[in-house]
Amino acid sequence: MAQVLRRRGRIQVKVDKREREALIGIIDSLSPRLAAPLASAPRAYDDAKLQAEYDRWVRPDIEKGREADLTMVRDALSGGEDTLPLTEAQTLAWLRAFNHLRVAAGEILGIEGDGWEDTATEATKQKPEYGILIALGYLQEELVAALDS
Amino acid sequence: MATTSAPTPTKAPAPAKAPGREERDQREFGWNVMVWNDPITLMSYVVLVLRKLFGYDHATATRLMLQVHNEGRAVVATQPREQAEVSVAQLHSFGLQATLGRP
Repeated sequence: MAQVLRRRGRIQVKVDKREREALIGIIDSLSPRLAAPLASAPRAYDDAKLQAEYDRWVRPDIEKGREADLTMVRDALSGGEDTLPLTEAQTLAWLRAFNHLRVAAGEILGIEGDGWEDTATEATKQKPEYGILIALGYLQEELVAALDS
Repeated sequence: MATTSAPTPTKAPAPAKAPGREERDQREFGWNVMVWNDPITLMSYVVLVLRKLFGYDHATATRLMLQVHNEGRAVVATQPREQAEVSVAQLHSFGLQATLGRP
């Protein structure tokens, strides 16, 4: 399993070839879904007019940022290295990218409430998106711990 | 006996009352940034995001995260509207459910 280490103030992700390929596969499979508006895409305003302005002027930058985060992670994983050093800014980008991917996976699974880990059926647990939620959740926890240490 | 009343002096309509300072402050500065619970986002990640974006210490960020988790939402900041919108956009860029609104 991939490891996240903090050494001399630098964060390092140790990830072997098989894991890198799996992560790239996750990004490639869920990116198209992220490009379309997610049903769970967060709103900013209750007011329809203010929300329309937000969607016009603010949301495009958020979407560009999300694409940049995903590209950064994908490029790092495509470099052929087992050890990937990350700055704090890059670590935050990885965290954001993983969160977007997890939200997309959760939407595919139809998760709507807390406690889904305890109530998931065996059929749900067999779905690739369930594995994505668990694996990326593990990596997020590791990255958060590395930033906190 | 009929009485004639003196003509009512014509009065210019009263100008709309200018908003008081308190009202102006409320409108300009009193926008709540609200984070909403969602079942996917990790608790530790929410704490980290609140610390990074708002500069909270770990205990404050954890308290707010637990409020989001237990009550479904929490006001994480009260700011002028433009700043509140930037904060909400930053929260959205981290994938959190966030809105802004007047109290």
